[in-house]
Amino acid sequence: MLGHLAKFLVIIFKNVRRNLVRSTLTSLGTMVLVLVVTSVWSVLSFIDAQTSEKANDFKVLVTEKNKAPSRLPYAYSSSLREGAARNPGDVRPTDYMTWAFYGGTLDPTKMTRENFIFLIAGEAEKVPTMMDELDQLGPADKERLMAAVEKMKRQRNGCVIGPTQLKTMNKRVGDRIKISGLIFKGIDLEFEIVDTFPDAAQRYAQTSIMNIEYLLAALDEYKVKNKKPHPQGAAPIAFVVLRVNNRQEFERLAEQITASPLYTSPAVRCESQASAISSFLEAYKDIFWGMRWLLAPAVLVTLSLVIANAISISVRERRMEIAVLKVLGFRPGHVMMLVLGEALLIGAASGVFSAGAAYLLINKGAGGIPFPIAWFQRFFIPDQAPLWGLAVGAGTAFVGCIIPAWSARSVRVADVFSKIA
Amino acid sequence: MSDSEPIVRVVGVHKYFTRGAERVDVLQNLSVDVPNGEFLALMGPSGSGKTTLLNLIAGLDTPSEGEVWVGDELISAMSEAQLARWRTRSIGFIFQFYHLLPVLSAYENVELPLLLLPLTTAQRRAQVTTAMELVGLTDRLSHRPGQLSGGQQQRVGIARAIVTDPTLIVADEPTGDLDARSADEILKLLDELQRSLQKTIIMVTHDPKAAERAQRILHLEKGQLVEQTVRQLERA
Repeated sequence: MLGHLAKFLVIIFKNVRRNLVRSTLTSLGTMVLVLVVTSVWSVLSFIDAQTSEKANDFKVLVTEKNKAPSRLPYAYSSSLREGAARNPGDVRPTDYMTWAFYGGTLDPTKMTRENFIFLIAGEAEKVPTMMDELDQLGPADKERLMAAVEKMKRQRNGCVIGPTQLKTMNKRVGDRIKISGLIFKGIDLEFEIVDTFPDAAQRYAQTSIMNIEYLLAALDEYKVKNKKPHPQGAAPIAFVVLRVNNRQEFERLAEQITASPLYTSPAVRCESQASAISSFLEAYKDIFWGMRWLLAPAVLVTLSLVIANAISISVRERRMEIAVLKVLGFRPGHVMMLVLGEALLIGAASGVFSAGAAYLLINKGAGGIPFPIAWFQRFFIPDQAPLWGLAVGAGTAFVGCIIPAWSARSVRVADVFSKIA
Repeated sequence: MSDSEPIVRVVGVHKYFTRGAERVDVLQNLSVDVPNGEFLALMGPSGSGKTTLLNLIAGLDTPSEGEVWVGDELISAMSEAQLARWRTRSIGFIFQFYHLLPVLSAYENVELPLLLLPLTTAQRRAQVTTAMELVGLTDRLSHRPGQLSGGQQQRVGIARAIVTDPTLIVADEPTGDLDARSADEILKLLDELQRSLQKTIIMVTHDPKAAERAQRILHLEKGQLVEQTVRQLERA
């Protein structure tokens, strides 16, 4: 049985090679379209992952209630990390991280993209556990990140910069950089680059982090030096992220925080991280809708038509051969299998190759898909993309060749060999 | 089955096609018996219905009326799938233009019908080798059709027709595309197959010289049997 199957596969393979130019062009067309679909789905799957709540990693965002961008006093952070718990039995977060944003330029006289840097300021020791996906690093990368975190804890002006950002700035690990503050005007900070994010943490290729204590100390120094607080010194943080075990705990925690008298000026809002991101991305919903329901389906239909066209021509050219096979005893199902096999071979192989190549070239070569939406600058092709390629290539090939395959199975031998005129 | 018993029985067959409102009668109330082991030639002008008759006997088409029996099987009542299954084991078909698959080697072309039978690789190899030996082409196994002469391609076609050891071999103008020398070689080969393997061969031909090889010649005209010639052959 396996021997027979192998022989059928050989025939299918030889049929694909029969017209190498046509097969190659069909394959190239498939690859280009699979590349487009893979890229679109990569963006959408990332956005979906960000906006869907995770059962075992429930993060809660506490932001200013009535203003955007949110600004909160740093004092909020110390009580929020306890979940504003007052009574025994109140929910306490299992983890937390305070977020502030510090941005500036390496050269205030030359405000170019290369000179601009944007840093997330947070508790250094919380970086490995509270920043998405960093807890999934391999042991070697995790060890390296932990070492960098330790350096940042010991040396408050240490910072970790994404590899792409570092390259853009034309700097190296160990370099010292002086930044003139743009978000916190008048707060100029000098950093030492202690490391980069590991390559495996692709989404952080352009992200940088600093120890929030360094920013807070600089704000204190400003106050001493200028005998008045910095204009943003009273509310330097953007939000606090808390982690709880599940949705029930989140609901109780949200109730505790919003009912607490500690957070009235300004008042705070408590929502799941997924919900917060969804709200923020509301402005882009039409773009995502178009990508999901217009662009991707249009590409899939086009892909099916490309394959349908190539296979139709092939079947039309080989009507006589198909009739001969039937004379030899090949049943309609056999003929259909041969035609479907050809389409599936071209579709699946091209799909896997295209998605695999996209994974390597876009992620490793190009540093992601540059598609700035909200705070997401670049998108990466996920690990499962080659499987998408396989499914898209094979699926569209199957759909595209149903009609030509049916037409092949329906070839009437007597009609083909008919000599009556 | 004894030699005198008919292996093919065509009983009161009528075949017509419709072209728009017009009905074209191709075969009209035709009855033919072919004894087991006979070499039969079908002759007649173009449009006389000889190829249609051959297609009916080979199970490639079904009659509008009447019955076609091959052995004990009423093939005119079989479905397309049943006919395909039956053809694999019972019929070897030789085409005028060989119709070998250009992407496959001679060996693979001959092996094609065997892929539909429950045989091991070794059994398939043995049957292909035997068939290729019978047609004298064991030195061309790995050649593609494009690398073979017309005569050699037709030999491969014959090997493909006999590889399943069918009850009946049908040939539609098997020498029609060959030069005189190659045609003669092919006819000799068919002759040998009929004699040594006791195969029943039904051959459609326009060529009187080719028909001379047959034991019996049926002449068709306008879908009807008009003449029958029985030949006493002296064979070397």
